[in-house]
Amino acid sequence: MLRSFLSIIILFIILFLLITPSKARVYLDINAPSFVQLPIVLPKWKSLGKTPPSLSIKVYEILSNDLLLSGFFRVVDYSKLPPLLREKEGIPDPLLISEWIHSGGEMLMVGDVSLEPDTLQVVLRYHLVDLIEQKRLVGKQIEGHLQNLRYLVHRISDEVIFQLTGEHGMNTTKLAYVMRQGESKEIFVADFDGANVKQVTKNQSINLSPAWSPDGKKIIFTSYLKRNPDLYVMELNKEGTLRLSFQPGLNASPSWSPDGKKLAIMLSREGKSEIAILDANGTNPRFLTKGHGNESSPSWSPDGQWIAFCSDRSGSPQIYVMDTNGSNLRRLTYEGNYNTSPSWSPKGNRIAFCGRVGGEFHIFTIEADGSGLRKLTSNSGHNESPCWSPDGRYIAFSSTRTGSSKIYIMNANGFNQRPLTPSKGGESSPTWSPRF
Amino acid sequence: MSQKRMTILILLVFCLGLILAGCPKKTVVKEEPSAAARREEAARIEAERAREAREREAREREAREREAREREAREREKAKEELEKSLIAKKTPGIEGTVYESTLLKTIHFDFDKYDIRPGDAEILKENAAVLKKYPNLKIQIEGHCDERGTEAYNLALGERRATSTKNYLISLGISPDRITTISYGEERPLDPGHNEEAWAKNRRAQFVIIAK
Repeated sequence: MLRSFLSIIILFIILFLLITPSKARVYLDINAPSFVQLPIVLPKWKSLGKTPPSLSIKVYEILSNDLLLSGFFRVVDYSKLPPLLREKEGIPDPLLISEWIHSGGEMLMVGDVSLEPDTLQVVLRYHLVDLIEQKRLVGKQIEGHLQNLRYLVHRISDEVIFQLTGEHGMNTTKLAYVMRQGESKEIFVADFDGANVKQVTKNQSINLSPAWSPDGKKIIFTSYLKRNPDLYVMELNKEGTLRLSFQPGLNASPSWSPDGKKLAIMLSREGKSEIAILDANGTNPRFLTKGHGNESSPSWSPDGQWIAFCSDRSGSPQIYVMDTNGSNLRRLTYEGNYNTSPSWSPKGNRIAFCGRVGGEFHIFTIEADGSGLRKLTSNSGHNESPCWSPDGRYIAFSSTRTGSSKIYIMNANGFNQRPLTPSKGGESSPTWSPRF
Repeated sequence: MSQKRMTILILLVFCLGLILAGCPKKTVVKEEPSAAARREEAARIEAERAREAREREAREREAREREAREREAREREKAKEELEKSLIAKKTPGIEGTVYESTLLKTIHFDFDKYDIRPGDAEILKENAAVLKKYPNLKIQIEGHCDERGTEAYNLALGERRATSTKNYLISLGISPDRITTISYGEERPLDPGHNEEAWAKNRRAQFVIIAK
């Protein structure tokens, strides 16, 4: 009995030792302040059998955009490939790795797609090859309904990123944001790449500061429907909203605790904004700040023990951190005289915020102990409302760099800033969903 | 027997004497009432006159008061008309209820990132307080607004503070806090959609709307 138990343990240890080295290679460390993008060769995908050619073109577009948005890759220019390789599409049979080692890439990804016309089921097959070590990393297929094609391709790019970084990406996440519609502001939801835009409030009111629940099912936001900025919650796949907190004055800028059980919000007391914690159903308000200044933008730490917020108690708005009882207060920012809207990374200890430099607003990050201040944006225009992807590797924010405010995504080190497409402008206040 | 008769006779004479003695007294009593009545009558007339005077006075006072009331009513009517004429009903889609803007209640402005009342704006608030005293039924909502610069959430807090400092100034001028509510619109309701200092200066404001009149 004991012997067989011991042998099982030994077997596990051996297995662990065998598995670990193959998983240990992390090709990319996106958390590094700077890194070299991995050049990837991405031959055209092929539509098999009677599958319309437009389908493989679409898959290829979604996939290459995903890889670009991830910030990890540089797609090798197709026109620079040797003529023999340029003609290849789909999954070559046999796949001779040696053919590709002088293609200029360190990675190769090939794939094909087939559509079952009766059931509208699609099958996507793909291979990921390490051209430096000359070995296949992934060979998989994924299938689903044609309706979910975008999601299926996002799953593939997520798998590629998982293989190369040891962590899942943001490819199956969504963003909610506010969009101006004439006099009113409505809340919209889109995939992380800007596709599948859906309007989720249609009340013509002023709807502000959406925040996605940690389980991804609800969005909480502030609306002026009853001539007061009250807090509402909606379930994403259901009709209707529920009013959660409606004290006279502000019930605004909500942030969910990581366990989804509490909310930190701006709540007015004696005509002044304070930070308060409520139960997730809007009851039991408890004030954490006590009349020292205008308090705004609470954001929970990933361990649920701390809250970052903005206060002007020193005379100008600055970023502070306190525990969930309102004690152990410390000020993080001393540079500049206008630092607002902190957002705590769900991974690690960095806090993103918006700071004014000259006449412009820019996105910064800083460690929770106040060290390591880093400025991430430098283009002209105002850059505001940073929020983190669930993996902590990206920051979404709004920027007026091309005129009207649009949502942008960048790596957490400021690299690879790209607008969410398509975009009409007038967008602000992004919030990131968990992975679906 | 004769002695007994004598006694009866004496008694009779005595009784007669008593009766006769009482008679002259009665005549004196009968003479006196006419003088008292005269005095009484005079007092009565006197009282009547006083009453009439009082009534006349009351009537006159009533007339004066009625006139004053009518004048006041006319003035009130005129003031009410003046107020009504100054009102612009404001119904916003997506925001419950109708409020009124009035040209009698003037908007005040603020410096960037500030919520203190500037001296010139304090004078405007004194005028607004006079209007509120003239119309004691008015209930108002003070809207705090910011310019587009800065963060949405921070501007909500700043707008709240602007509305509150405006409310507190009106309270210090004797306006009951029961008549004033506040709301912050942050940067969401600019008056001027421009992106320059001129537009921003217009948008940093506390604005008054009437919620009951």
